[in-house]
Amino acid sequence: MITAVRIPGSLASAAEYAAAGGWIMAGGTVVMAQVNNGSVDASELISLRAAGLSGIRVADDMVHIGATTTFREVAELEFLADAVRTIASPSIRNLATVGGNLFVPQPYGDFAVCLLALDATVHIAGSGENRAAKVGEPLARGEIVTGVSFARPAAGTWFYRKAMRRKLNSAAIVAVAAVVHTEGGVVSSARIALGGVAPRPVRAVSAERVLVGRWLDAAALDEAGAAARADIEPFDDAYASAWYRTRVLPVHLRRAVLR
Amino acid sequence: MASTVVSLRLNGRPAEFLARPGTSLLSSLRDSLGLMAAKRGCAQGGCGTCTVLLDGRPVMSCLVAVETIEGASVRTLEGVAADDGRLDAVQSAFLDGFATQCGFCTAGMIMVAESLLAGNPDPSRDEVVEAISGNVCRCTGYASIIAAILDAARRKREVDVV
Repeated sequence: MITAVRIPGSLASAAEYAAAGGWIMAGGTVVMAQVNNGSVDASELISLRAAGLSGIRVADDMVHIGATTTFREVAELEFLADAVRTIASPSIRNLATVGGNLFVPQPYGDFAVCLLALDATVHIAGSGENRAAKVGEPLARGEIVTGVSFARPAAGTWFYRKAMRRKLNSAAIVAVAAVVHTEGGVVSSARIALGGVAPRPVRAVSAERVLVGRWLDAAALDEAGAAARADIEPFDDAYASAWYRTRVLPVHLRRAVLR
Repeated sequence: MASTVVSLRLNGRPAEFLARPGTSLLSSLRDSLGLMAAKRGCAQGGCGTCTVLLDGRPVMSCLVAVETIEGASVRTLEGVAADDGRLDAVQSAFLDGFATQCGFCTAGMIMVAESLLAGNPDPSRDEVVEAISGNVCRCTGYASIIAAILDAARRKREVDVV
């Protein structure tokens, strides 16, 4: 049972409450659902609503997104708008935040997949020094994600595709996010992240290895997609079986890049 | 464990009530304020029947911790019709277009439509579909709901012209 909801007006104050064991809540789309079904394993909620962590800054092609920025706001970043539209529904995107998405279990958490592909830095504050982490690194008790930052990919190098059971508002069967650079049609670097196919977003390092040095065509992508099966730990759920996810992964990896 | 006094601007009027820690906006509306239009469906943000407008934008009220929105403006279906009971364009279009079957999703559908049409007076069918993509109609009456929202947009535009 929840016995207190803290609404700290500063990050330092939020970190103190978090160190004492409360659950951090940003948009509430995950935490309040757990409050409602009685599965919150804490007596205190710490809302970040007033902690001053919202907003997007773009400077010299570096993008910084505050942790409590909602997906409605993130959609204003043009290259991410298509990806954001695959996340839940507009009513959820009015609440759900970038920071919260990092903690959503797969097959949800599509934005964390994007951030992994973008090689984003996760900014973390706590009782000690502020630190920078990679997507997926665990947090210690009392630590709070304050925002994420990444270089905006050059035009034509960003790719995203999410296979769902419906066209809108459904979880990932397979999500593919990638930054692929080519020189003269040959892949010079590739960073590919997958959602829906493991308990957490994963890098498709085997696929990346296949692609580098190859012409970016269907044959190379099919080979990369098959190789990516080595990088996943697929699961069965109500949306798809592990078998199906494994089977269709190469198709969606190819379609993500060739469109 | 102490309850908190929460003040909101609710359907254009000030409202003040007590909330126990962790109470959702939906529970406050229904259990403390007696506003029963927003329905308690899944309590997980998956069905949309509890949708209300928070500072003008549709949200699932079951997912909003009411203590965290002190001072906010909330609009529910009860605040949509005119004070004399006259239905607005969206409500009239739902009624005339038989866009309600069991009625459980209707309050949420109408609130989403109110927000959509406030920002986009001439939405395409695809834009209507995306707007209601968080709202489940288990009678599967989507076709008539979408038609009613497009009809409401036409009605509002005609009124604006006159």
